Amino acid sequence: MDSLQLLIDGFGAALTPVNLLYALVGVTLGTLVGVLPGIGPAMTVALLLPITFTVPPASAFIMFAGIYYGGMYGGSTTSILLNTPGESSSMITALEGNKMARRGRAAQALATAAIGSFVAGTIATALLVVAAPAVVAFAISFGPEDYFALAILAFTAVSAVLSRSLVRGLASLGLGLVIGLIGIDQQTGQARLTMGVPQLLDGIDVVIVAVGLFALGEALYVASRLRHSTPEVVPVGRAWMGRADWARSWKPWLRGTALGFPFGALPGGGAEIPTFLSYAAEKKLARGTAREEYGKGAIEGVAGPEAANNASAAGTLVPLLTLGLPTSATAAILLAAFQQYGLQPGPQLFDHNPALVWGMIASLFIGNTMLLVLNLPLAPLWARVLRIPRPYLYAGIVVFAALGVYALNGTVVDLVVLYVLGLLGFAMRRFGLPVAPAVIGMILGPMAEIQLRRALAIGAGDVSVLVKSPVAVVLLLLALGALLTPLVRKLAVRRELAPTVIHEED
Amino acid sequence: MSSPDTPVRAPSGEPTAGEEPPRRWRPELVLALVVLALGVLVIVGTLNVSAAASQLGIGPRFFPTLVGGAMIVIGVFYVIDVLRGGQGDPEESEDVDAGAPADWRSVALVSGIFLAFVTVLNVVGWIIGSALLFFGLSVVLGAGHKVRAAVVGVVLGLVTYLLFVKGLGVTLPAGWLRGVL
Repeated sequence: MDSLQLLIDGFGAALTPVNLLYALVGVTLGTLVGVLPGIGPAMTVALLLPITFTVPPASAFIMFAGIYYGGMYGGSTTSILLNTPGESSSMITALEGNKMARRGRAAQALATAAIGSFVAGTIATALLVVAAPAVVAFAISFGPEDYFALAILAFTAVSAVLSRSLVRGLASLGLGLVIGLIGIDQQTGQARLTMGVPQLLDGIDVVIVAVGLFALGEALYVASRLRHSTPEVVPVGRAWMGRADWARSWKPWLRGTALGFPFGALPGGGAEIPTFLSYAAEKKLARGTAREEYGKGAIEGVAGPEAANNASAAGTLVPLLTLGLPTSATAAILLAAFQQYGLQPGPQLFDHNPALVWGMIASLFIGNTMLLVLNLPLAPLWARVLRIPRPYLYAGIVVFAALGVYALNGTVVDLVVLYVLGLLGFAMRRFGLPVAPAVIGMILGPMAEIQLRRALAIGAGDVSVLVKSPVAVVLLLLALGALLTPLVRKLAVRRELAPTVIHEED
Repeated sequence: MSSPDTPVRAPSGEPTAGEEPPRRWRPELVLALVVLALGVLVIVGTLNVSAAASQLGIGPRFFPTLVGGAMIVIGVFYVIDVLRGGQGDPEESEDVDAGAPADWRSVALVSGIFLAFVTVLNVVGWIIGSALLFFGLSVVLGAGHKVRAAVVGVVLGLVTYLLFVKGLGVTLPAGWLRGVL
């Protein structure tokens, strides 16, 4: 196979001592920052993005792949060992994981999470290797109207799925689109919405938006509602599990992978829905001991959702690498990382930069293996990280946010913009606006505009050109469907007030 | 956009934060009005962008007008939703007590310290500036041991400066310590 040969070449590039070192630094930093409470995978990637600027692209993406998987991984440790609800994708893991930990089975919970993540990550990355060339082959014929429809689908899906309130999801999306408009129009060189500030001519850097909305917004939000009780961390030794745990874990791992990968690849799919579905499926399938233990700390309820979580992380990379379409906030920031190097993910990237793409995919396999080796023995260390005093933690987050943003252009104007965006992030958190649509709108908005103008220019101003291709029609219909989903769901909920333990992560 | 004005609420009994009785005046109204105002601002703010009409009317004003129009529609629905008592789910996070009343004093102090840091950064330099930022924020956020917070701040400022400036070649202001390091 052609792509197999390219993957082997990718391994050749990723397995040099220097790049292995970058991968190791990536997974270690990713896990370390991901373990910190209050920091999800998206913020981990945003905070660590500036570090990669001084590194050549190939190595930077190898490091980034490590940060991405490491950050996903770190979150699960937090939710198992810390007895407080965390961000939505790892909240499901916490349901059974934390109960297991408190019954003295923390080591097993961490082990099934680590090994499950490894299994799911490896299978899902293999699926990525198979799926990516197929999607590229299909997408190579996409015209601008198809890309525009794809962007519209991503916008509506992510706004409708990530919030319980559609209008808040759309408001978040709109805020991101407006931020994306600021600066010089790429086609005509006209300045838009810069309000006369010369520093805004280049637009607002994605790093500032991500760090502002996530890091500074989180710090301000935490300041407003800091939990003053000392965090309760379950003590743990080396993560391990026995034969019975293996027997109970392997099927949930595989089922979680099967759920996570496709959902990760869908616009608006993300990690929340597959982790929830996996949790519900394992609950339904539980027999014997598992059935008795469910709700009190069943290993199946950790193994399945954790596998789903990591498989969705690999699934997200399919549309990101092949179409340039981010389906989660983390993916949007990864896309921004590509753009920092002047690279545009999409079918052409596989053509023009095969070494870089396949080197990155190969390093996902390597990073996954490193994470397994790193995390089983290092669990006690991560548990200690969780005890870091909260005032220091959030003060440190702000210092690093300021560092990363100042380092971009060396101007304090960026720090003022960072603060304004931090306030916006704070307001969004407080009022329950999801942050992901804003980040995706900001990054995908300018691309949607270019494709729209290109399509309309080809069609000589005729709007019907947008629905000329069947692909675009299907995508736009799906987008409409995504907008109507909350309404349908509302009606369904009204009809049968089904008593579920936890409601879908909508 | 068919009536997105009432959020779908989970039928589960999980406590939603801020179960206040519906009131006319709610702080969220400000955010909803900001969304609405931004929509207007985008349209008004791009009026003076002279469109190169060569591209069959699809100049640099076309997309902003679409976005601005959409923002106005969303903003109107959002305002209606807030007035009717709709709520989102405040973000959950490990260190956030979602049920606690907002501590505005801390938010104001964190803001003040950050903006002060921005003002003096280029004068005092990264090491002193970031050490003061760290110290100030950690004390506001409840660090009990002030001396330790100060020591951590200085060490953090020094280490990040050495690591990023000397190690990674990032530019950070030296300020008062120019020539010392």
